[in-house]
Amino acid sequence: MKAYKRLYELLSEGLYRFSYSMVRSAEVAEEIVSDVFIKVWQMRSKLAEIDNLRVYLFTIARNFSLNYLARNADSRVIGLESLDSATPVEGNSPADLCISADLANQMRRIVQQLPPQCRMIFQLVREEGLRYKEVAAILDISPYTVRNQLSIAIQKIGEAPLLKELRQKMV
Amino acid sequence: MLPMREDQFWSLVSLKLSGEASADELATLDRMLEEQPELAAQLEPIGEWWAHAAPTGSRLKKGALHRHIQRLNQSEHLPSRGHRGRRFFLLLIGIAASLAGFAFFIYHYQSISKKSAPSAAVAQNTVSTKPGSKSKIQLPDGSQVWLNADSRLVYSESFNGQAREVQLCGEAYFDVVKDHRHPFIIHTNTIDVLVLGTTLNVRSYSNEKITEAALIHGSVEVSLRSDPAKKILLKPNDKLVVQNGSNLLLAGSKTVRSHPDTTARVLGLRKVHFPARDSTAVEVLWVKNKLAFDQESLEAVASKIERWFNVKVNITHEALKQTEYSGVFEDETLPQVMEALRLTGNFRYSIRKREVTIRP
Repeated sequence: MKAYKRLYELLSEGLYRFSYSMVRSAEVAEEIVSDVFIKVWQMRSKLAEIDNLRVYLFTIARNFSLNYLARNADSRVIGLESLDSATPVEGNSPADLCISADLANQMRRIVQQLPPQCRMIFQLVREEGLRYKEVAAILDISPYTVRNQLSIAIQKIGEAPLLKELRQKMV
Repeated sequence: MLPMREDQFWSLVSLKLSGEASADELATLDRMLEEQPELAAQLEPIGEWWAHAAPTGSRLKKGALHRHIQRLNQSEHLPSRGHRGRRFFLLLIGIAASLAGFAFFIYHYQSISKKSAPSAAVAQNTVSTKPGSKSKIQLPDGSQVWLNADSRLVYSESFNGQAREVQLCGEAYFDVVKDHRHPFIIHTNTIDVLVLGTTLNVRSYSNEKITEAALIHGSVEVSLRSDPAKKILLKPNDKLVVQNGSNLLLAGSKTVRSHPDTTARVLGLRKVHFPARDSTAVEVLWVKNKLAFDQESLEAVASKIERWFNVKVNITHEALKQTEYSGVFEDETLPQVMEALRLTGNFRYSIRKREVTIRP
């Protein structure tokens, strides 16, 4: 049980972020993650046979999320958190980053304004550390799409105004 | 840059950041950066942000695990604790290792230097920073470490021994996860620091005269490597200052040696200093990306500036070195910092390329 809980601790945040990006509600996303882990418990004797557990769990989370969206197409509750607030959510570290807070905010805002699939791919690669092939398997798209979308996302980030300024400071 | 090459450039950058670039692609990117070095300056913050920024999405609310277990209990009738734990345990090791490995893996792809990273004999991870840049790492147990410029941290891949041990050469700010069963030990050339859940700053550069350990929260026990029996207990806001032995100053490499510094001695137990306008101790402002001096000699100031901006500072006259300076800078450029210091000080300076010369 302790190891099962630890597994939850390791993987739940990533699955939650992923589900949230689709269902846009904290309660629903948390419930979906819980459902995924209930399934993990039910399948515990067969888990070792799965090639890539993270891809498997993300795929389940995606399916559950899509099911939810299909069932609730008419009356979706949009959580207040989904409205983009002016000040982005901070990480809980004393230093946000080793670059200026302004630049970090600019980059974060650019990510939040990416088209939905592009942003999802970006988050899966950067925040979950999934490989292109894994992301492609989870989202049921081609690895080339993953590669192109990521390139587009990073190009947009690279065009942050403060970055161009930084280039001048360094010279 | 022609539009077509710009697309290609960003494609290569994204391949590199995600770790999916082939050797050919990396070589092509390196060539592009050589032809246009100002691009490298733009890439470094992106690399930093990619590797270390907090996730951009929403976060799970506290207590989620607890709520989940309750739901699980309701939907299943759980058997009493048996040997079933073992199956999960094996999976866990695989997943935890791959996650920890990921953070390290991405970090190594950020450094623009051409050195490839050889793997050490005993599954050790090494993280180092060059002058002018800082880094943040998460250790296998969840502890966070902010590494200042020109520093190096070594830790074993899977903290699964009796103790959690790291080696530090340089400066780092530690936020250590509490675990009474596994003491967390920081080894430097001069001191060993034993911590249980705590936040503290350790500064031990091999080319500086002193080593400092400043405790912010929690409690730690420090011992001199030259005299391990003598243990010094620090309480919050205590700062231990140790004079590095003479043989340490001669080297200047970035390793923690197995032969401890045998001539070090304690200089004093002081208090951590809080400047007037900030609730953060001076010793730790670097973590918030602020360059701070706290009644430090020009010599010490020069040393900090060298690391912060990755430049070389020469002071032509010995007499200048002893004047003390205090100040906190955030976002100022090197010329701005030098100008501010000059206004309160007694020197003139010139900056040429990456070298600063200070004269009377």
